[in-house]
Amino acid sequence: MGKSKKVILLGNFGVGKTSLVRQYVFHKFSEDYMTTIGVRIDKKMVAVDKGEVSLIIWDIAGESTHQKIPDSYKLGAHGIIYVIDVLRPSTYRAIEDEISSLQNLLPNAPIIKVANKIDLLTEKERIEIVNNLPLNDYVLCSAKNGENVETAFHKLAGRLI
Amino acid sequence: MDKQKFEVLKDILFEDARKRNEELTNKVKAIDDIISDREKLEPKIAPILEDQVEYLEKNFPSLFGTAITASIRKQIKESQDEVVDALYPIIGKMIKKYISRELALLSERIDRQLEKAFSWEGWVTRIKAWFGGISEKEMMMKELARPVLEEIFVIQQQSGMLIGSYSKNKTLDKDMIAGMLTAIKTFVQDAFQGGNQEVETIEYENYKIVINNLRSYYVVLVITGFMNTDFRSQLDEILVDFQKEVLEKYLANKETFSKDRLTQLIKAHFDKFNNGEK
Repeated sequence: MGKSKKVILLGNFGVGKTSLVRQYVFHKFSEDYMTTIGVRIDKKMVAVDKGEVSLIIWDIAGESTHQKIPDSYKLGAHGIIYVIDVLRPSTYRAIEDEISSLQNLLPNAPIIKVANKIDLLTEKERIEIVNNLPLNDYVLCSAKNGENVETAFHKLAGRLI
Repeated sequence: MDKQKFEVLKDILFEDARKRNEELTNKVKAIDDIISDREKLEPKIAPILEDQVEYLEKNFPSLFGTAITASIRKQIKESQDEVVDALYPIIGKMIKKYISRELALLSERIDRQLEKAFSWEGWVTRIKAWFGGISEKEMMMKELARPVLEEIFVIQQQSGMLIGSYSKNKTLDKDMIAGMLTAIKTFVQDAFQGGNQEVETIEYENYKIVINNLRSYYVVLVITGFMNTDFRSQLDEILVDFQKEVLEKYLANKETFSKDRLTQLIKAHFDKFNNGEK
């Protein structure tokens, strides 16, 4: 049996966190929980070089800043996926502050930054926007067509073992 | 001659009366024609009926409400069987399904009790009943209504990670259940800002979810059946034992303790309780 790790998905409202999970795992719990208690949990077994890891994914309802989300949902997380929308600068304008505050709260949790919705960009726009993103070490992906979704979670899983 | 004169005189005297009589006869005949002919009658009475229907529609509750309520009440009181028969097609299926399910469960439990009756346990029950001064039947009924521990989850506080679990039936993925239980628990605590207070019980129809909060872990017990104070006190005792005999061992050797090993210990510990050995 592989090790279980808690992964939290954070990011502004509408950046596509739930769509990423939907693309990545088959939902077992209804999405209604998200509107009721602000979180919905899914699970995915991932095979990495060092073994198998079971990701318990906490998909948390989006807020303009993670500080508006109760710490109780974030505590004990082993890893974080922070999602932005490439077309909405408001979703990544304060990303440095957000990441630094998350690192203070969860100092041992690796963070993977995911720039979502690249399917909506032409090749030219993609180069232009990517050059202007205030991020380093991120995964460009599309929850709509599945591009790099697996890569993002796999990358995090690898850092959790 | 006198007779002729008399007739003339009668004609003169009764002429008006005869004319009125003829008029009345004609009117009655006309009315009779209308009444006897539906096509002629309908246009005459339709406007009156329409007005009456409209009036009744508007005033039905005030005109007949009290009488109908009284009538239904009387009918229910005097003819309960008929009322039940009338309602049965509507709610009968629902009740039948519920009763069948409950009877099936009861039957299974009685079968198990009967099997036990001829076993060593049966003799133990008889002796216990004899010494306890209660009938064997009463003792068996007590056994039937005994609450049962269906599922146990040991979950890490804060992270909601499942440490170990045991379930009598197949359920959804236990890691996800542990996560959702933690989310619900923390949501309630955040929502009501109860300081250090904790969620202790969640009730769901026949199920009672009892949450026992420890410092770094919490134990969730899913119970069916009637939970009385006696059972609750036994539960508290077994939880204290569980903490000493299982959890402390686990905490001291976390690195070497696998989830499977902990699950085996949980199962063994709570099976003893379900079998009435504790």
